[in-house]
Amino acid sequence: MSELTYLEAISDGLRTEMRRDETVFCMGQDIGTFGGAFKVTDGFVEEFGAERMLDAPLAENAIIGTAVGAAVEGLRPVCEMQFADFISCGFDQLVNVAAKLHYRQGLAVPMVVRLPSGGGFSGGPFHSQNPEAWFLQSPGLKVVAPATADDAKGLLTAAIRDPNPVCFLEHKGLYRYVKGEVPQGEYEVEIGKARIAREGEEMTVIAYGSAVHLALDAAAELDESIEIVDLRSLCPLDTEAVLASVRKTGKVLVAHEATQSCGVGAEVVALIAAEAFEDLDAPVRRLTAPDVPIPFSPPLEQAVLPQLEQMKEACRELLEY
Amino acid sequence: MSSSSTNVPPASSASPAGAAGSAQGTASLVFVEMPKMGISVSEGTILEWRKGVGDAIEADETLADVTTDKVDVEIPCPASGVVARLLVEPGESVDVGTVIAEIAPPGTAATAAEPDISDSPPAEEPDRSTFVSPVVARMADKHDIDVKAVTGTGVGGRVRKKDVLAFLESKKTNGNGGALGPALHSDSPYEPDVAGVADEPDVAEVAPPVTGAEREPMSPMRSAIARHMVESRHTAAHCTTIVEVDMARVAARRAELKPAMARRDVSLTYLSFVAKATVAALAEYPVLNSSVEGEELVHHDDINLGIAVALDDGLIVPVIAQAQRLSVEGLAAAIADLAGRARSKQLTPDEVQGGTFTITNPGQFGAVLATPIINQPQVGILDLEAIVKRPVVITAEDGSDSIAIRPMTYLCMSWDHRALDGADAARFLGAVKRALEAGGEL
Repeated sequence: MSELTYLEAISDGLRTEMRRDETVFCMGQDIGTFGGAFKVTDGFVEEFGAERMLDAPLAENAIIGTAVGAAVEGLRPVCEMQFADFISCGFDQLVNVAAKLHYRQGLAVPMVVRLPSGGGFSGGPFHSQNPEAWFLQSPGLKVVAPATADDAKGLLTAAIRDPNPVCFLEHKGLYRYVKGEVPQGEYEVEIGKARIAREGEEMTVIAYGSAVHLALDAAAELDESIEIVDLRSLCPLDTEAVLASVRKTGKVLVAHEATQSCGVGAEVVALIAAEAFEDLDAPVRRLTAPDVPIPFSPPLEQAVLPQLEQMKEACRELLEY
Repeated sequence: MSSSSTNVPPASSASPAGAAGSAQGTASLVFVEMPKMGISVSEGTILEWRKGVGDAIEADETLADVTTDKVDVEIPCPASGVVARLLVEPGESVDVGTVIAEIAPPGTAATAAEPDISDSPPAEEPDRSTFVSPVVARMADKHDIDVKAVTGTGVGGRVRKKDVLAFLESKKTNGNGGALGPALHSDSPYEPDVAGVADEPDVAEVAPPVTGAEREPMSPMRSAIARHMVESRHTAAHCTTIVEVDMARVAARRAELKPAMARRDVSLTYLSFVAKATVAALAEYPVLNSSVEGEELVHHDDINLGIAVALDDGLIVPVIAQAQRLSVEGLAAAIADLAGRARSKQLTPDEVQGGTFTITNPGQFGAVLATPIINQPQVGILDLEAIVKRPVVITAEDGSDSIAIRPMTYLCMSWDHRALDGADAARFLGAVKRALEAGGEL
């Protein structure tokens, strides 16, 4: 074990898989000599060479399309979007080609799209989005969103080894903020399994990504028996873990940084309403960003993104109910 | 249902409506309270609201039907106006003095009675004590819990899952069903032997399934009788002593007085004579006119004679207060009055309380022997059975025996062996018998 930041854990996982499997290679803008916009692949070009660290032009559709072809031919490409927001430019290749080849032609498409997402640093509307819900509407894609360094490495390993296209949402705010013990060497975390981030009896916060840390901080400050479920995998969703916690506490807050309508939270709430109605002791609540783009202005951005005080207030309301 | 019913003036109080500072707080609400319906009646159950929210109502018009475990009562509205709010659900029991409804002045819209939230201080948390969440409903169903018996600690007094869990936990540690506690009527003259009840075998578990049965819930009167009778059996050491009485002299005396009583529109019954003889014997043997309270015998100064009256769906025992002051004619008039009003539901709650000894008279239906259950906290109950002609041996003054046909009856008295012994009971019954057989003295 060694203590790594979330960002270092992603680099470690990627490097380990590239060493283990020669078919794994990376594509993206400035990922080679520059080492990536956030330095995830710093030093990679020296170790693996430019052939496996392809600097791509500003053409996301080309990056994803090339990756689909390579994957179908037996390679395991890992694409980096400089910002998750720009996946929109590669959307057609991702949702219409990569996601459907298995269903159309029985072809495996073992590729990963790394999506640096999230706000909190005045990145404005094009560099701060949390677009995970887009992919949930496209059957054929797997979607993961780690919250810890450990899961960042383990889930990236699993994503690379998975025969399906996997969207890997790495929250930029967690890159250097989150640190943790991470197993050395090969390390895989199964896709589709949630994690109990904190045990509790009185209520459950279901979250993923940055919202997990917001919930952990709120629970620590409130000093109440709050259970926190870190989904980790958004598709497939660990319905058993969600329902088990709801049955235990009867009170649920679903939290994420992404906007509210038709988000991951909506899907989780619908699941609870259908499968755990008789276990509910309170209305199921959501804490999310409102349905607006992320503003540049720091005070406005703070007003849009869920904050610790709001998380505490939402928990208090449910605890008192 | 046909049990005793009457009009009782409701307690009411008027106070200004709306929150302090409300700009339009001019209307005045009249609060209708659960009325005091007798000395020992501490709660009442709303059977039915006669009016809905928004309905106009006149003063003294009946607003609700209320039942206690003794009688049914109609609650007249204390003021004319509009029903603003009904605060108690039908079937719900509340303490005497609890506000059960609010009447707004005539012509007011029902909603006007609501406080004006817009310009008043933050509204109080709405009462959510009756709201049941899905998980609470399921748990209550599974564990057969009355949610009303659970103390809610959630917002607005809501019963939460943790409250149900705590309730179940306390039930487990207390051993017996905690749900029994709050359901008890506080005006019960004796505390039920809860441990004894819990020890009873669970009949439901051993009874074989019955086919073709129809179930109906007990009326409040039926369940009160059931409770009182079982509790009496658990409380008193019942014994029954029986004497045979020759009613020939009573029959003669009755025939003599009857025309005069008929002119007063009172039917002179054998029961009146038995009542008179009983009152006299109670004065002679006061132990029968007592109650057992713990380790003490309470001797009552007055003889308040209860007379059991059968109703279509039950039984009620109106009381003749200070029966020692009444002649046989007075007793006859009192019995006729109480029995008539019992059947027409016109008794007041105080008229069914405070008895010190009870006479029951099912003999009118032809039965000859019975072992009645004592009406707690009394120590004796006398049962007058049918008077039938029988051949009996008569001993003349010269000592010669002969057989005669006489109107005979059995007086069966159940008594509490905690308070007295068989010799006391026999002596008392002997006194009653002598008085009746003397006849003319009554």
